[in-house]
Amino acid sequence: MASVVWRAAPIVTQTVRQFSGGRTLRLVWALSLLPAIFAAIYLLRPGDVSPTEFLTTTYQELIVPTLLPIAVLLLATAAFGNELDDRTLLYLTLKPVSRLRIVLGKFVGTLLVGLPAVLVGLVATALVTSIGSGLTGAGGDWGAMQPVLLAMLGSAAAGTALIAAVFLAVSLIVPRALLVGIIYIFIWESLLGRFLPGIRNLSIRHYMLSIFSGLTDSPLAAFSGATPLREALITVAAVCVVAIAVATLRLRSMQLS
Amino acid sequence: MPDAVAPPTATSALPGLAAGAAPSIALDHVSKWFGDVVAVSDLSFGVAAGVTGLLGPNGAGKSTVLKMIAGLVAPSNGRVTLLGHSARGNPSVYRRVGLAPEQEQLFPYLSGREFLRFNAILQKLPRPDDATARALALVDMADVADRKLGGYSKGMRQRIKVAAALVHDPEIVLMDEPLNGTDPVQRAGLIGLIRRLGDEGKTVVVSSHVLSEVERFAGNILVIVNGKLAAAGDYHAIRDRMDEHPHTVRIRTDDPRRLAAALIAEPATRSVRLAGDGAVEAETADVRAFARAVPALARWSGIRVREVTPLDESLGAVFAYLTEDHRG
Repeated sequence: MASVVWRAAPIVTQTVRQFSGGRTLRLVWALSLLPAIFAAIYLLRPGDVSPTEFLTTTYQELIVPTLLPIAVLLLATAAFGNELDDRTLLYLTLKPVSRLRIVLGKFVGTLLVGLPAVLVGLVATALVTSIGSGLTGAGGDWGAMQPVLLAMLGSAAAGTALIAAVFLAVSLIVPRALLVGIIYIFIWESLLGRFLPGIRNLSIRHYMLSIFSGLTDSPLAAFSGATPLREALITVAAVCVVAIAVATLRLRSMQLS
Repeated sequence: MPDAVAPPTATSALPGLAAGAAPSIALDHVSKWFGDVVAVSDLSFGVAAGVTGLLGPNGAGKSTVLKMIAGLVAPSNGRVTLLGHSARGNPSVYRRVGLAPEQEQLFPYLSGREFLRFNAILQKLPRPDDATARALALVDMADVADRKLGGYSKGMRQRIKVAAALVHDPEIVLMDEPLNGTDPVQRAGLIGLIRRLGDEGKTVVVSSHVLSEVERFAGNILVIVNGKLAAAGDYHAIRDRMDEHPHTVRIRTDDPRRLAAALIAEPATRSVRLAGDGAVEAETADVRAFARAVPALARWSGIRVREVTPLDESLGAVFAYLTEDHRG
């Protein structure tokens, strides 16, 4: 079975193996599961906040602007970054394989590693919030939470793809992509994107929240200035395509000295 | 191949190439600089089938030359062609080329077998398992193939890199210091393999900074010093030129004055001086004759020779000589 997978998608498989059991992946899982711990703390003193409200706020204010971008950033910048650092990238580039195929392999590999952590983290947070609040009598309603959770999963998947594509390209262009990415997340996404309307529309956060809002009827997800779902999805897809094209061109022209 | 270019027509004009030989690799007035540092300066040579040693001291520009041939680095000036094509922007040429790079790092999370298989799959070989087994046998590593690369010794990493470069049976093989870190048995095995590849008609370029090493596998050598071609051609012809250069030998003895007097009478000796500490330093233009003469003289004179040390046999001295000769 393993040999069939290798033959079908060698670079995807190599990327998955690159992260399997490593420190980066453990950190990604820890970041993804952190909201579930906050959910357990919430259960101790729920106050007037309903479980769905807690889950939505956690997603909008903690997961989307900070935890998810950092988790995906760790993987996206390491996918090529590790091989640039230890100069093993030539084992991919000195092959009769198109540069686009190499970039796509890294992109899909990053998604295969990152998406399970991100999505499981969200489901775990929702489960802890719902089941826990049911046990403590805080009014947890799994049925009411499900549509919101599904919208979150869709939005998180789109955001993961967007961040992965953008930072795969960035890692081929700038030497310290992880540092650049963290600065970007804290300054642009978490700080400026929250307060400045012009920047808001140019932030990954905006499109993730717009997709979240567009995928559910919950008023908790709605916000003023949201981009319609269709436009948001097209924008995310277009940015992914452009980022992959930039990464491909960069890989074609870069010198592995 | 989109950017195919005609191979140089005046092949015999390229240094390192026998008259009429078709070059598999050609460098035409190639220079490479990194910022203010000139790594390679106006280098022109051709390489045909067989084993060619790329010889030069550390930092001479050998690795940069190999990387430019492989298309990993673009020349700042001039043109590099591989089987008549530029490797840069032309991945299909890698079906016919294998590179064993100098750096030791591999994918530590893969086993040796997985690594070779990965290379075979990326080379689009129809039977990657067979190619993997064949490559493992070439470097005699079948018994350790299932161990993780992260646990390999330096010598094992060198051999698995060579196996990866050969897994697709390429026409051109580039090896950057493949013998570094190998033990004598591994070294002998790799040297035998390099010679066999040359005998099979492949174009093999092997870089090394060890002259005596290159002698064991390469009939043809290119000597690079300070990014410039210092010498090119048959190994023995170049070696003879090196031997014409005066060598200094230090001999420690229990009677330096008598030994000095005896050495002066020896035709192979150019000059002799007492170096103190019971030593004599002699200059000779014929190292082999001198090496034969010293024990005979010592026996005949009843002098005990404690130590004989060549003072300028280091590559640095030899290369300096070649460079001076080249500039002259």
